[in-house]
Amino acid sequence: MAPSRSSRNSLQSVDLRALDYLASPSANLLCPICHSPLITPVQTRCLHTFCSACISLSLERSLTCPVDRKDLSHDDVTPAPIMIANLVNDLVVLCPNREKGCEASCARWLVESHVREDCGYAMVKCAKEGCDGMVARKDVDEDCVHEAVECEFCEFAVRKLDLESHLRECPKLSSECPHCAEPFLNPELSIHIADCPAEIIDCPASHFGCPYTCPRSEVDNHTGSCHFIALTPILQLHTERITTLELENKTIRQKLELLIPPRPLPTPSSSSSNPQDSSTNTGSSSTTRDMTSEMQDYTYHLYSEYEQLRSDVERLNAQIRELDVKQDMARINEGLRYNDEMTGMRAAINGLRMQLHWLVASRRDAPTPNSGGAGGAANRVGAGSSTNDGRRMSDSARQIVKL
Amino acid sequence: MALPKRIIKETERLVAEPVPGIQAVPHEDNLRYFDVAIHGPTQSPYEGGVFKLELFLPEDYPMTPPKIRFLTKIYHPNIDRLANWSPALQIRTILLSIQALLGAPNPDDPLANDVAQRWKEDEPGAIATAREWTKTHATP
Ligand SMILES: [Zn+2]
Ligand SMILES: [Zn+2]
Ligand SMILES: [Zn+2]
Ligand SMILES: [Zn+2]
Ligand SMILES: [Zn+2]
Ligand SMILES: [Zn+2]
Repeated sequence: MAPSRSSRNSLQSVDLRALDYLASPSANLLCPICHSPLITPVQTRCLHTFCSACISLSLERSLTCPVDRKDLSHDDVTPAPIMIANLVNDLVVLCPNREKGCEASCARWLVESHVREDCGYAMVKCAKEGCDGMVARKDVDEDCVHEAVECEFCEFAVRKLDLESHLRECPKLSSECPHCAEPFLNPELSIHIADCPAEIIDCPASHFGCPYTCPRSEVDNHTGSCHFIALTPILQLHTERITTLELENKTIRQKLELLIPPRPLPTPSSSSSNPQDSSTNTGSSSTTRDMTSEMQDYTYHLYSEYEQLRSDVERLNAQIRELDVKQDMARINEGLRYNDEMTGMRAAINGLRMQLHWLVASRRDAPTPNSGGAGGAANRVGAGSSTNDGRRMSDSARQIVKL
Repeated sequence: MALPKRIIKETERLVAEPVPGIQAVPHEDNLRYFDVAIHGPTQSPYEGGVFKLELFLPEDYPMTPPKIRFLTKIYHPNIDRLANWSPALQIRTILLSIQALLGAPNPDDPLANDVAQRWKEDEPGAIATAREWTKTHATP
């Protein structure tokens, strides 16, 4: 490799999603959104894997997982296990300049550096000083192809780069007709070729089976006597009917296969409810497998609807549970309050009972009930303080209950 | 802009393994446009009819769903109600769900129209109309 080649980096950018792969990659490594092998794989909380860019775009529109429609936020997306990233990065891809002629293939993680530094067909800046043109890396050591030169026949200015293609259609040059070998000026050649009388053509009814061929100039002699041409209207009709019938037949066959799935030979358990089972069945024909995948598509569609309904039900359930808990809490709180109040009342009643006892006792102990105002006042004062005591007791009782 | 790989892959598969009863053919000059023909499912009021649709993949497909328009007149309560789109769905899943809707019209769809109303009030009459329309508009 010449030093000047590797010293020039190509600015050509590589679209990883447009790459072609040497072998078709496992379906497990495809992103459900772009259907390409994962690029910078990430994993969601619900354990689905996407390209980082794909799921970000999707989350901008809807905060749900595209596969199972579970709620999903940007925070629920984390890099996928490094093993998955390694698997996709090691897949072998073909060089994006394959159509220009590069036959290189390499691991996907190397393809960008291949194009930037090695690929002979990547465009790099022209080596000539002052020239802004681009040239394929393999040609960078040749003379600059961006200078204008004059066509020696028509005297138009043409870039050196375009000279070759110009000469093929230069209006002052002529080329030979491939059929009659007559020379024609380029602008007139295509008109001539379209009905060159020397071209060997098929009978107009060749698609019905006439094997006759002759130069265009003589075809009229043949068509007058060709049986196939005479039968063309009726043959046309038959062809149309056969095509319709074939189509109908095909549809019917497909429907039949859908209705009567052939039983897999070895295992008697052929329940289609298990998609893994049916996909690994090797006994069925390829059309049935198409139909199965059709059914799977459809099942999958139904499944996603079902998932959605299930999440709705789950959400409702959660709401009901929450309401239940709230109600329980309210009931317990209410109960506690009543308990509290009851204890308070019990304490108050106790206090009253003690006062009553005291009053009755003091009545019994005093033989002269009308012994004077001072005694009564003292009594009253005593009773008052006793009430206070009682209240204090009930207060402390309440506190104890509360504790 | 170049056609995304996903659209190319989906088109290739649609052509190579067509969905039974559904034809989808991309326009030659714009590969985002499809001419679609769906055969009415058997034992539905649309049996025997071929319904022509136009399907277009917008610039940001698959982030936004394919746009679909019925070209054939159809009497149906909820054919314009397609399932919630997700970028994990495909052209074939959408076409399958249309075919399924033809097989099982649902007038109880919350976003009902006049046809749905009639379907609920007079189902035999509505089905007869659907059959009639299929015969007049959808029979080749
Ligand atoms: Zn992706
Ligand atoms: Zn998910
Ligand atoms: Zn290359
Ligand atoms: Zn140059
Ligand atoms: Zn010239
Ligand atoms: Zn000629």
